[in-house]
Amino acid sequence: MKRSSIVLLAVVALLIGALLVTLQDASVYATFEMAKKQQPETVTVVATLDLEAPMDFDPKGSILTFQAIDKEGQHATVRYNQPKPTDFERSEEITLTGHFTDSAFIATEILMKCPSKYTDGEGVNPDIIYTDNQPSS
Amino acid sequence: MHYLGEHSFWSLLGRLFVALSFAGALVAAFFYGIQAFRTPEEREERPALGVRGAARWAYGLHSIGVLGTIAVLFIALFNHWFEFDYVWRHSSLDMPMQYIASCFWEGQEGSFLLWLTWHMILGWVLIRTAKTWEYGTLFALSLVQLFLASMLLGIYLGDLKLGSSPFILIRELPDNIGLPWTQMSDYLMRIPAFRDGQGLNPLLQNYWMVIHPPTLFLGFAAVTIPFLFAMTGLWEKRYTEWVQPALPWTFFGISILGTGILMGGAWAYEALSFGGFWAWDPVENSSLVPWLTLVAAGHLMMVVKHKKTAPATAIFLALLSFLLVLYSTFLTRSGILGDTSVHAFVDLGLNGQLLALLGFFTLGSLGIFFWHQRKMPKSPSEDAFSSREFWMFIGSLTLLLSAAQITFSTSIPVFNKLIGPEGLIPLLATQLAPPADAAQHYNSLQIPFALIISVLMGIAPFLRWKETPKELARRAVLSALLTVVLTALVAWGLELTAILYVALLATAIFAFLANADYWLRFLRGKWTAGGMALAHLGFALVLIGALISNAKKEAISTNITFIHKDFPSNENILLPLGDTVSMFPYYVSWRGERMEGHNRLFDVDFYEVDKPLASWADGERKHLKPSFQLQPFIQMNARMGNVREPSTQHFWNRDIYTYVSYADLRSESEKSGDWKEPMEASLKTGDEVFLFNTYLLHGDTLVVQDAAFDPATGELTHLDLALSLTLKGMDGTRHPIVLPYHLDGNNVENVEVELADLGIKIRFDGVKDEAGTYGITAWEKKSNDPPFILMQAFIFPYINLLWLGSILMGVGSLLAVWKRIYRSLNEGKK
Repeated sequence: MKRSSIVLLAVVALLIGALLVTLQDASVYATFEMAKKQQPETVTVVATLDLEAPMDFDPKGSILTFQAIDKEGQHATVRYNQPKPTDFERSEEITLTGHFTDSAFIATEILMKCPSKYTDGEGVNPDIIYTDNQPSS
Repeated sequence: MHYLGEHSFWSLLGRLFVALSFAGALVAAFFYGIQAFRTPEEREERPALGVRGAARWAYGLHSIGVLGTIAVLFIALFNHWFEFDYVWRHSSLDMPMQYIASCFWEGQEGSFLLWLTWHMILGWVLIRTAKTWEYGTLFALSLVQLFLASMLLGIYLGDLKLGSSPFILIRELPDNIGLPWTQMSDYLMRIPAFRDGQGLNPLLQNYWMVIHPPTLFLGFAAVTIPFLFAMTGLWEKRYTEWVQPALPWTFFGISILGTGILMGGAWAYEALSFGGFWAWDPVENSSLVPWLTLVAAGHLMMVVKHKKTAPATAIFLALLSFLLVLYSTFLTRSGILGDTSVHAFVDLGLNGQLLALLGFFTLGSLGIFFWHQRKMPKSPSEDAFSSREFWMFIGSLTLLLSAAQITFSTSIPVFNKLIGPEGLIPLLATQLAPPADAAQHYNSLQIPFALIISVLMGIAPFLRWKETPKELARRAVLSALLTVVLTALVAWGLELTAILYVALLATAIFAFLANADYWLRFLRGKWTAGGMALAHLGFALVLIGALISNAKKEAISTNITFIHKDFPSNENILLPLGDTVSMFPYYVSWRGERMEGHNRLFDVDFYEVDKPLASWADGERKHLKPSFQLQPFIQMNARMGNVREPSTQHFWNRDIYTYVSYADLRSESEKSGDWKEPMEASLKTGDEVFLFNTYLLHGDTLVVQDAAFDPATGELTHLDLALSLTLKGMDGTRHPIVLPYHLDGNNVENVEVELADLGIKIRFDGVKDEAGTYGITAWEKKSNDPPFILMQAFIFPYINLLWLGSILMGVGSLLAVWKRIYRSLNEGKK
């Protein structure tokens, strides 16, 4: 066999190996229901913050406890062992990475999507401008 | 209709310039295209200087269009013309002037413009230097420019939006058309929202943001040039000749793009609080990948240059690098990364156009490549096992594999769009999510590639073309021996135990030593010849620095409170105001906070123990001596969200990196909103009463400043009083207070006076009786816990190796460019 063919084979084998590992590492988007079933496994849940439920932040141990609602409308208590992210209450959607224990969903990472984080999609809001500035007669 | 104060003329002018650059690129592509598709014989027969002249003129017009666009946009930003949507979105009055440049390229339109500009400038260099390659390269470049300029057109063809103009006025936005205020000729004066813009994202108000994007985009633009040469090589059937003029450009691209990427890392490290210089974020990855393939392309091009045959892989990688830049543009700008990246751009509704750009060049260039593939010369013989070209090929393949893996993992959101449950072909039952632990995922897969690459970099100086003489291997012995010693010392000194890390450390040290040895001993430190050695040893240093600073990154801010077995003790230390807290190997104390511009700064003092051999027993605090101070801060921005920014103390061998992970950011008045039940007291001048068991309140004077009586009834109609009191603390401090009291008819106005630093407020309730007894009401703040912050602190050891390495790598690859320019200049003279 030619050396170039050997190299090529090795490359293909490596590539397939790397891709398989990648797929294995990839987590899946789940609901709280699914996360509960696969209990120790780490999953990613896209949810929203339940602003009506109490939110507690214990600064001594920096534990944030809050309620989240997943896309199917199911509630779960989430604990996050990090300080409360800035503007947490303003988040539109939160992506939680973590796993369930018997007591709560333990989030190791929270990614927030904020409505106005980078730009206001709206631009100048014409309604507000107009009503605020009725020409004074 | 004429709108008062509106710079409609400039808006029109800006759009005309964009149109000019578009039209210029179109005409240039046409004329260059005529020449590009003629065979050399036809070109001989018809010199067609007229065609070349016309093409250059058209390119000149295109350039004027680009420069004009920049000028108008800058003028609008400098003068704060907030009727321009782009200006309103990206700048504000209170922003420091030096960040105007950042505003310029904060938005998508501006960064397209930046890219367009670099292409345009590099195009002129090509016109001056490319000689016979001018037609083909400029033809392809004009096509690229045509697509990029179309991104700025901002016109509608029916329902189809073509580009997004940076010169659109707010009243012309689709949402606003037809609204009554757009019909007012003086709307700019009437509507206060136009007096100030939204401002720049606080994350981007940083000097790195001023220099990082232009460098990165120059790097991206440089990647385009080898692509242009490779394409020209294909359709002019000069399959191997193209590498000669393209090589300096490739090294230029490697240097600039590499520097740009690492500048992004430096920015992240200095100004963002994600705790490091590299987070394997999709946006970072997608700029790293073209660099990896460009490095591979550069090495394969050198092989082609020496062998004069078998150009297929080199051409393919040169094409691929540019296509990956386009793919990266698509990923970061289409909004597809939304869920997975913290710093992707917002969707501008240009996805169709971005896909067209990506599709056109991918199908076009790969189609032409495969069409020509069979016609390309093949290598008549196998490369010898000991030849430089064989190992360069292996190295390039390794880089390609590494790039493939990163691309694959980064593209997970794209797979969801294609084969996810809601995708085009629903193959997957659930959406794929990116790896839960990105750093672990990428590190474990990329370290083996880095291992191979660094071994190859180490043996590179000792390999020769065709076949390497055996005695050359002896030259590597010294470096190999030193490597063993040094690796053992470093691994022992740093307590590095993970086998993969030690292996990478060893190979990277070998790569460093071998290249340093080669440059100093065999090239005698000559600069012109040392490009390869310097670039390689620089990259080895980058690897060593990244490895050590990451593997031995140590969180020193451990929180020792035990919470639950589910929660390991975390990395946020609690700092109550004024307390000195142990944070091995330092003691830290949070002294207070202050506002500076938009930033809330937290002053944190670091102390060291004065006695080196002392144990950590209690008595130690007596021996603390101040070491340094840091000011991590939080940028307060009501609109875009507050941003935590780190503060770092640099030492030559380590950095102490801190940021505030939690602080009570409520304003002073909000925090003091909670008061205890009030306490009432009455006293006379000279009297003293106890207040809250802590203070003594002394009545000084009561001054009647003004009084008026109704002459008819004799009743008091107007009265102005000022009551002076002194509040005495137990420690002897005295706080003078003056309380006002106004009476006007039946209205009493007696505001509370607050002593913010004592947490007390007092009100004067008026005179109670003839004897001059006056009543006061006093409040004390609810006993808050003392204020505190949570802070994270990390030690990054030897991170300076990384920065030093990146500088050497940049310089080394620029030397390689210089060597080639120097040679070709001298050849010309002969």
